[in-house]
Amino acid sequence: MDSDIIILVIVVATALAFDFTNGFHDAANAVATSISTRALAPKTAVTLSAILNFAGAFISLEVAATIAGGIVDAGLISTTVIFAGLIGAIFWNVLTWYYGLPSSSSHALIGGVVGAAFAAAGAEAVFGSGLLEKVIVPALVAPIVAFSAAGACILVTYQLVGGLRPGAVNGGYRLGQIASASLLSLSHGTNDAQKTMGVITLALVSHGSLQGTNPAPPMWVIVSAATAIALGTYSGGWRIIRTMGTRIYKMDPAQGFAAQGGGAAVLLTASHLGFPLSTTHSITGAVLGAGAAKRLSAVRWGLAGNIVVAWILTLPAAAIVGALTYGVSRVFGASALGPILISLSLLALTAVMFAKRLRRGPAITTAPVDA
Amino acid sequence: MTAAIDSDALLELVWAAPLAALTVTIAWGLVVFGSTRAAGARRQGRTASAVVHLGVAAFGAALFTGAVVFGLIIMTAKG
Repeated sequence: MDSDIIILVIVVATALAFDFTNGFHDAANAVATSISTRALAPKTAVTLSAILNFAGAFISLEVAATIAGGIVDAGLISTTVIFAGLIGAIFWNVLTWYYGLPSSSSHALIGGVVGAAFAAAGAEAVFGSGLLEKVIVPALVAPIVAFSAAGACILVTYQLVGGLRPGAVNGGYRLGQIASASLLSLSHGTNDAQKTMGVITLALVSHGSLQGTNPAPPMWVIVSAATAIALGTYSGGWRIIRTMGTRIYKMDPAQGFAAQGGGAAVLLTASHLGFPLSTTHSITGAVLGAGAAKRLSAVRWGLAGNIVVAWILTLPAAAIVGALTYGVSRVFGASALGPILISLSLLALTAVMFAKRLRRGPAITTAPVDA
Repeated sequence: MTAAIDSDALLELVWAAPLAALTVTIAWGLVVFGSTRAAGARRQGRTASAVVHLGVAAFGAALFTGAVVFGLIIMTAKG
């Protein structure tokens, strides 16, 4: 078997591994508030979210045919650059999961590819204006808009239902949270699974297995990407769910609905206006907004600060790992040995981190809400 | 560098996104408010009040369903 085919197989496997970590990492966005307010049991929440992520992968009509489109020179996207970018993104997803911090998987992927492209062709391979337009401005706008929207939502909510029996009100908002969690999960599937399909399709085109400038992904790519994100979601990165659901502040069902429903409305409006925002930034901003509007001191601002630091570091950290991965791969020339060694190293690192976390408590979603 | 940013879309987002969020919140709030008040009125034998509050809940439910359907259309139509 020639090394081109082996590298292609490694890239496809790495893309699916990234898709899994994407679901694992981002499950919190859709289910954390529902689990925290006991609208849904943890395992029920991740199962529902996984099914809707799977379905969402088949709904959207358009697959992202480029990764980091408009940010890096498309002519430089080779299988090695894609591989290095994916490794950068997976590394960052695993690291932030380890510390229980929500961060954007899409920004991590862009960061990884930017770093790899930079290592491959220098600074002129990266378009600063694209980076500003597609990463930096949305990263600033998403949390601020979602924070304000969710804050306004919870104040209106308390005005509307504040004088009613708490039992009935909580029951009503728990029901609403099931709808908003479902909508968010479906939306996540339509967005994020498509990215992996785009990555694999691009790798197939780059290798010559697929012809054309913008070919449709083969059915096996669609099914495998949908399955990987659904399995990742089903595993549910418990540490991030715990951070968003209970560690930032203890939320009531109305706050959970304001954060989730308000956040979903912000995300879908942005998508409609052609200004897509990060799900993680929007939902985290909305969670903080719904908490701060009720009582400013209830929010653990130190933890919120750590989350913001993780967001700031996402792009450069993934870029550094992407660039290093590209550099190490090139040391082995066109041979598949470099990607094989890097993949095995990342796998070993992930296993060690997972084992360390397991010793301290639940790592995936099997635990009760107060674990 | 600044020319790359679609400032019109950004400005529209700043007012439209919170408005959409508030619409969804008020819609579901009306469902919770109307159904809770209707249940209370029914228990006290105030039929007219129960019917009015059920109407409020139904209006909220219709608005919420409309918002969800619009969300689904956005998801399927995006490109």
